Amino acid sequence: MTKNRDHDLEHSLGKSFGARKSPLRPAARWLDTNLGGSGLLRDELRHIFPDSWAFFLGEIALYCFIILVATGIFLALFFQASDAQVIYTGSYAPLHGTEMSVAYDSVVSLSIDVRAGLLVRQIHHWAALVFVAALVIHMIRMFVTAAYRRPRRINWLLGVSLLLLVGMNGLFGYSLPDDLLSGTGLRIAFSITESIPFVGPALATLLFGGDFPSQGLIARVYPVHIFLLPAVIGGLLGAHLGLLWLQRHTQFPGPRRSDRVIVGTPMVPAYALRTTGYLLIVGGVCTAFAAFIQINPVWLYGPYRPWDATTAAQPDWYMGWLEGAVRMMPGWDIQIGGLLIPAIFWPAVILPGLIFTPLFLVPWIDWATTREGAFHNVLMLPGQHPVRVAIAAGFITFLTVLLVAGGNDVFAFVYGLSQPHLLVVLQYLTVLLPPVVALLTYVLLRGRARRWATTVR
Amino acid sequence: MSPEPQDQGRPAHVTTWPVGLGILACVGGAVAFAVSFFVDASNAWLGGSLALAFLGLGLALAFWGRDLADDEVITGRYPVPPDDLEGQAKLATQLDEHASVITRRSFLSKALIFGVAVFALSQVVLLGALGPWPGDSLTTTGWRKGRRLVTEDGQPIDSKTALATGGFIVAFPEGGEDKANSQVVLLHFVNGDFVPQQGRESWSPDDFVAYSRVCTHAGCPVAEYLDEAQKLVCPCHQSEFDLLHGAKVIGGPASRPLPQLPLAVDAQGYLVAQSDFTEDVGPGFWYAS
Repeated sequence: MTKNRDHDLEHSLGKSFGARKSPLRPAARWLDTNLGGSGLLRDELRHIFPDSWAFFLGEIALYCFIILVATGIFLALFFQASDAQVIYTGSYAPLHGTEMSVAYDSVVSLSIDVRAGLLVRQIHHWAALVFVAALVIHMIRMFVTAAYRRPRRINWLLGVSLLLLVGMNGLFGYSLPDDLLSGTGLRIAFSITESIPFVGPALATLLFGGDFPSQGLIARVYPVHIFLLPAVIGGLLGAHLGLLWLQRHTQFPGPRRSDRVIVGTPMVPAYALRTTGYLLIVGGVCTAFAAFIQINPVWLYGPYRPWDATTAAQPDWYMGWLEGAVRMMPGWDIQIGGLLIPAIFWPAVILPGLIFTPLFLVPWIDWATTREGAFHNVLMLPGQHPVRVAIAAGFITFLTVLLVAGGNDVFAFVYGLSQPHLLVVLQYLTVLLPPVVALLTYVLLRGRARRWATTVR
Repeated sequence: MSPEPQDQGRPAHVTTWPVGLGILACVGGAVAFAVSFFVDASNAWLGGSLALAFLGLGLALAFWGRDLADDEVITGRYPVPPDDLEGQAKLATQLDEHASVITRRSFLSKALIFGVAVFALSQVVLLGALGPWPGDSLTTTGWRKGRRLVTEDGQPIDSKTALATGGFIVAFPEGGEDKANSQVVLLHFVNGDFVPQQGRESWSPDDFVAYSRVCTHAGCPVAEYLDEAQKLVCPCHQSEFDLLHGAKVIGGPASRPLPQLPLAVDAQGYLVAQSDFTEDVGPGFWYAS
């Protein structure tokens, strides 16, 4: 009997099922005989992916991470994380004879003298900007379609953690070149840490290795930027995708689709081809940005010296909301006995806590307000739940006003406005605009939601 | 979507021209990139050709995949939550049987948790190796009694000749100790313009006034000097300080004035400090004065 069956199998292995034999057959055979993995492969080749343009957003973020690692390895071959002082002798004439750190010298030479160095550096920087943007839009999509409900609560937590860590690593990244802007950013980071009651000063000198500007700071930030945080981010990303794989992707409502039945395209061939294409497209877009739009030209800024300053200093966009909050917060120091709580503590430490704590808790806040904890694999349409969209709109408005305030000096200059007056207008908008936008969104969507509910039934 | 059963599962609807065009663009871009590299072409050529190669190949694959996706929509099942009660019961029994061998030893298992916790906590001390404690680094600067003010290149500042009235200059303590936190803006006021704050009448010999240049908001150098308005503006967050009135805050997010350095003129006629600052310079912290 068995002999007969084996014979049949041998026969079918020799036979082709498609028009011709797949050239991957020997590879699968090799895998199976050496690792015993073809059983898994057999199941997962037909892994189903529901299809929607909205599901591409997370992929953009993932591909930015891959681009960042690849370009980052190239940059690491040239960057020297040292604050030892040297006199510049490279080929960029305006800096000749300038005293600067070895770190800054290496970034200038990477940008000016290493062939393709500038391109790779600019791809790296652009990919970081696109990365955070993709994460934010991906998160908004998750929120308005309620994708964070069971069984995906843990994955929401992983996602918010990723946003936090990626933003932090971006800040560390643009702190490394030791140019005038990056040094100023680190100085502000030190001041913010210092402002925390009781633990602040000790925490600041521990983390920075002494009072600012401390010796060896660049050498300390470097392993955090290229090893520690990328390793944590990579690990969380792996867990994020692993859960996605095990639980399958969510799907929008549609014919035959339910919380139990998934409809989509198989991983091989359609999904694999498309997503590889998307990886290359994200790479292409970042490369095109890097080719045609200059970013962070550090050789123009000059080296960081604690007594030099530049006007119109702005952080990267994803830190702009924090910058705006720090600019708009009135100087309300609190003195209790001998204890001082500097005003900057509120916008720079408490506000990020007030933003990220509820973000982390979104799935549980939803559960507490709706008292509904069932498993969901079908997404909600944003129009189905106006309150959720209204909250998102208000929240986005709030952060956008802060972001605009982060560039208030530039806006005032470009549009010929008075900067102090613009600041007051923005202070009012911070408080008034978000609730107005949230309310308007709710009113606009409520009618549609009602119509939607009646047509579905 | 797919109308007829496909011949041997082979997709019939792949449109050839976008895929072919994309691959062609990829090859062209790749060759142009290599050539640009060897002739050391500009960043735009180098990046433009590389972007073309990426986008060409990416679009080719995306178009191909899209056509295949249109051809094949399949259904499957989501993994369901464990409504398999039998399996749950089995797991529970297994846990009871095997894991409880450890948890049953109540005293030992508690001791184990305690031991591990103490061990983990003890490792926190390693954080102390990261850096020094603040000590007095936040409350002192490089200024001492009799220490001369010098320019960035180390020249002492002669009260008679170095700075015309109405002028300003950035100064540091001689010897360059803690330059970042000691930096001051030295102003020479036109006689009668400057009104000293109460208790600071002796701090401004010959109408020379020195203020800390470290912003009390977030620590940036307060670098923008507006001579008509007689104010300093911080380029980072636009705090404004009134130079005629003790560098009080007149705009922006800062809350405390810039500390004033008590000045004197030494026997050779050079400007010196009377002492360190009497308040803490720079941004606030909980024990700052």
